Amino acid sequence: MKKVAISYLEKKSRYIRRQIIDITMKAGSGHIAPSFSCVEILTFLYYAATLRFNPKKPNWSKRDRFILSKGHAAIALYVVLADLGFFPCSYLKNFIQQGGCLCAHPENHIAGVEAYSGSLGHGLSIAAGLALASKMDNKDYISTVLLGDGECHEGAVWEAAMFSSQHKLNNLIAIIDYNGASAIDFLPKYLTIEPLEEKWKAFGWEVITIDGHSFRELKRALSGIRNRSSDKPLLVIALTVKGKGVSFMENNPIWHYRIPTEKEFNIINKELRYGKF
Amino acid sequence: MRRWTKGMRDAFFDSLFSLAVKDKNLLLLTSDTGAICHDNFREELSAQYMNVGIAEQNMIGVASGLALSGKKIYVYGIVPFVTMRCYEQIRIDLCCMDLNVTIVSIGAGLDYSTLGPTHHGYEDISLMRSLPPMKIYSPSDSLIADFICRNSYKEKGPKYIRLDRTGFPLLYKRQEDIKFARGFSLLKEGKDVCIIATGRIVYNALQAAKKLSEFGIDSGVIDIFRIKPINAGGLWEAVRKNKVVVVLEEHFLHGGLGSAVSEIISQKPCAPLLKLLGISDFCNEYGNRKQLQALNSLDPLTVAHQIKDIFKNGKK
Repeated sequence: MKKVAISYLEKKSRYIRRQIIDITMKAGSGHIAPSFSCVEILTFLYYAATLRFNPKKPNWSKRDRFILSKGHAAIALYVVLADLGFFPCSYLKNFIQQGGCLCAHPENHIAGVEAYSGSLGHGLSIAAGLALASKMDNKDYISTVLLGDGECHEGAVWEAAMFSSQHKLNNLIAIIDYNGASAIDFLPKYLTIEPLEEKWKAFGWEVITIDGHSFRELKRALSGIRNRSSDKPLLVIALTVKGKGVSFMENNPIWHYRIPTEKEFNIINKELRYGKF
Repeated sequence: MRRWTKGMRDAFFDSLFSLAVKDKNLLLLTSDTGAICHDNFREELSAQYMNVGIAEQNMIGVASGLALSGKKIYVYGIVPFVTMRCYEQIRIDLCCMDLNVTIVSIGAGLDYSTLGPTHHGYEDISLMRSLPPMKIYSPSDSLIADFICRNSYKEKGPKYIRLDRTGFPLLYKRQEDIKFARGFSLLKEGKDVCIIATGRIVYNALQAAKKLSEFGIDSGVIDIFRIKPINAGGLWEAVRKNKVVVVLEEHFLHGGLGSAVSEIISQKPCAPLLKLLGISDFCNEYGNRKQLQALNSLDPLTVAHQIKDIFKNGKK
């Protein structure tokens, strides 16, 4: 893995959050808080030379596959893909607009997007199929997938978890954006997914739990994913904060799908400019 | 000429096996179904065969991941499980992405008669018909099951193939007579009534037509082996001169072949009288297939009497 300065990754994260706010404000719609919780994860995957890709050849056969299974965080992914040159940044201005190219949830006709997502519980199975194909064809690309924590309520996730360990898909890396809240409430209050680490271990996975906003921690979890000695698939539980970076959005489920007022927008501007993130 | 000694399911998978021998990119996934009919895959092509377990949602997701990687995938299961349990995966993973995955189901209509409504397949045509890119094939005997397997293999995009365990007696004499692109076959000509059917119940349609001739009613029989896209123009030309058109299916009356034919005929001026014969509710009574067909008025004799009444009393 290439050495990348943490200050560079932090700068990229700030840029992504700034763009997410601008795009959703302009569109009048979008999932801000669930996008904010996975900004550092996406930044590390795409800017720290973790994934192998070529924006000029989005269908390059040797590329690593990445599926955003928590498809409601599409804006964050679009900002990254546009910034890297998969498609023009001008596309972002027309997010979910008539005649535009970007849907609220990922669609695989968009350069850099591997699969449709948005309905939760699909991505891990698709990623397992991609990982299996890589092994069948003796290729060395890896398959990565980002799941939401609430997504783990879906039974299909556990079908895929069982399948992946059975077939020793050690080229499959799943990351859970564990921000603790879903669309309307905190998980422990209505349906806990705990003990999460033990569950995945019992399903035959290697599990690492990290702070999902720390690049040092992300590096610890993801730096060796290309040549793993274990024959188990890898799960990274990334402990995150929903709405990370904006004080009044953090850990408040209402921001799952809310657009700020003008007054709130002014506060966001200040916090994103001067805050840590 | 090849002798057909196998049921529809075995004829289909024998054909698929021959294709898989030549095409290493072809994979067959099953959700723990196919005890004997997949023996040759298990023994000779184990690298192209996988039992993914009783997990249909995951099977479709894995199939889509493999198809996105350029593989040609067939998935197999019993009708309700491989269509309804994983319907959203079919809708999004296969249809939205227009992937080369063929869903092969077993147990069309009342095929699994004694196993009850959990195993009956009378909603699948309706469900698959509502998905825009999905093609639907429904063979009526072993000979055409093999024919559909070999010809649909060349097609791209998602497909649904609805199989039956039985395939005898044969309804076709030879494959050379089947026009694949046409999507249906006129198995018997008749000027008064045309019975349109699909799947194994085409046999009942032919038997009913024989009985109708005893009543002095000349009935034709059409086997629709491709339900979607349906050949609307060809079908209209084939039936428009009849006084009565009857659709016979082992499927709920809503959304199946009857609905597909209604969508064509209802838009035509001076159309023949249309009658739909099918299943109206879950079959909660017990019995073998013939008995359940009779309970639903789908046995050849009752079908013939219903058609006679329609023809005598309802003709325009």
